[in-house]
Amino acid sequence: MSVTAELETFIVDEIALGRGPRSIEPDDDLLARGVIDSLGVTQLVAFLAERYGIEVGDEELVPANFRSLAHMEAFVERRRETARTW
Amino acid sequence: MVTGFLYANAAARPEHTALVHRDERVTHAELLERVERLAGALAERGVAPGDAVALLLPNGPAFVTAFFAVTGLGAVVVPLNPQFKADERAFCMNACGVREVIADERQVAAMIERHPRRRLEPRGADETFAFQFSSGSTGRPKRLARTHGQLWAEAESYSFLGPDDRFFCAIPLFHTYGMGCCLIAAARHGATLVFLDDPQPFVLRRRRALELLERERITVFPGVPFIFGHLAGAPPGADLSALRLCFSAGTALAGETSEAFREAFGVPVRELYGCTEAGTLTADLDPEPVPGSVGTPVGRVRVRIEDGEVAVSSPAMTDGYSSMEELNRQVFRDGWFLTGDLGRIDDAGRLHVTGRKKLLIEVAGHKVDPIEVEDVVLAHPKVREAVVVGVSNGREETVKAVVVPGEGCGEREVIEFCRERLANFKVPQTVEFRDEIPRSPLGKVLRKYLV
Repeated sequence: MSVTAELETFIVDEIALGRGPRSIEPDDDLLARGVIDSLGVTQLVAFLAERYGIEVGDEELVPANFRSLAHMEAFVERRRETARTW
Repeated sequence: MVTGFLYANAAARPEHTALVHRDERVTHAELLERVERLAGALAERGVAPGDAVALLLPNGPAFVTAFFAVTGLGAVVVPLNPQFKADERAFCMNACGVREVIADERQVAAMIERHPRRRLEPRGADETFAFQFSSGSTGRPKRLARTHGQLWAEAESYSFLGPDDRFFCAIPLFHTYGMGCCLIAAARHGATLVFLDDPQPFVLRRRRALELLERERITVFPGVPFIFGHLAGAPPGADLSALRLCFSAGTALAGETSEAFREAFGVPVRELYGCTEAGTLTADLDPEPVPGSVGTPVGRVRVRIEDGEVAVSSPAMTDGYSSMEELNRQVFRDGWFLTGDLGRIDDAGRLHVTGRKKLLIEVAGHKVDPIEVEDVVLAHPKVREAVVVGVSNGREETVKAVVVPGEGCGEREVIEFCRERLANFKVPQTVEFRDEIPRSPLGKVLRKYLV
């Protein structure tokens, strides 16, 4: 499964259960639509750590990294890049 | 009255900053001009005194402008949660007989651009200023009206704030807390209101919030426990030395949250207490905040305890709920309102809120009436019986529906049924199926066995 597909499944099944859509387009603004709230962000941070080994730093905890699936995928890819070059 | 504050501010300090939102800074003179222009546009559309106008806008200059334009015309402002679903909006709008809805910031800007100014005449103290909704154990939210005189009285109660204060607005203005402690209080004093742009979810806005608190040298910060707790956990370095008053309301503040915030930023978090029916009631203004105290009455508010329940009397208080005579007889008595909260008053006259008589679930700062959610769950054709309760994990509550199912009833379809009809924060996160709902011999649902 691609990163986008995994994140979509996680958001639909775990975060948005009863609170959001059944499927998500890559550019849907999940923050503006209220699909992801503060609790949802906390769940995502835990998911990123567990699934991809990404520890989200305080400076990365910003809307630009979590607004949509596309933003999240870009963030994950960027962090994986960093991990490899290090 | 309240509109008069805008004229007074524009006359006394025309160039002083009234609003800060992203890169935009609006002076008192500019704010008054915008309000007068929008009022002109609304009047041209036929909005007249007594008409209800709903606001479905995020926090920002457009909200503030529309709020004062509507009320300045003598029309009645109905601030609604933009997260509400169609059913909830329809209920509130029908209850108020809403004539116009203002829901688009760009449209507000265009109306301001195109219309000449219209001077706003003073309104009478008894004219209706706003329709608001209070949740609480009766199913749908209860509508109440507050007058220009009542809002003016609330404004006067913020005597502990002043013209050189800079308020940080991170709480919604459609809610009484933000409307009173940010919007009305700042307007009353001609102070500056700084918006946290895009405030949801707050978890992603910590850096932005700290940047604004420091850059704008914020002095007054009304928030909720979650906000203060989250800020306290930030990496050190922010200089919030201008901050003099942090208020927490909505739900009890844990002592450790206040202490952690003080340790991080050098200023304690104080509790403040209020309700939709009367606005701000008490504030902890002791030089050293007293743990567990929500403070002493502000302005001309009076507080007493009746059979353990907090009763309040205030010139800022509504006359009662619309079309609910029986309930009004129960909770509005001889000028006193029974809040449904349990409390005590200590020797120094400070109020301590110790619990809640009404059944309300606190979800991330929102109050959810379980009866309202039950009514929706029960409307599902495969649900035979349902009770909705709040489940706490020690830090926060979530909504759980306990259901006696009919044939083929699944958790997911119950949740999705609710999702279509209720704002996200009211939707049950879990559904538990049971063969029967536990009841007392008198038939009363035993909620404690369902948590």
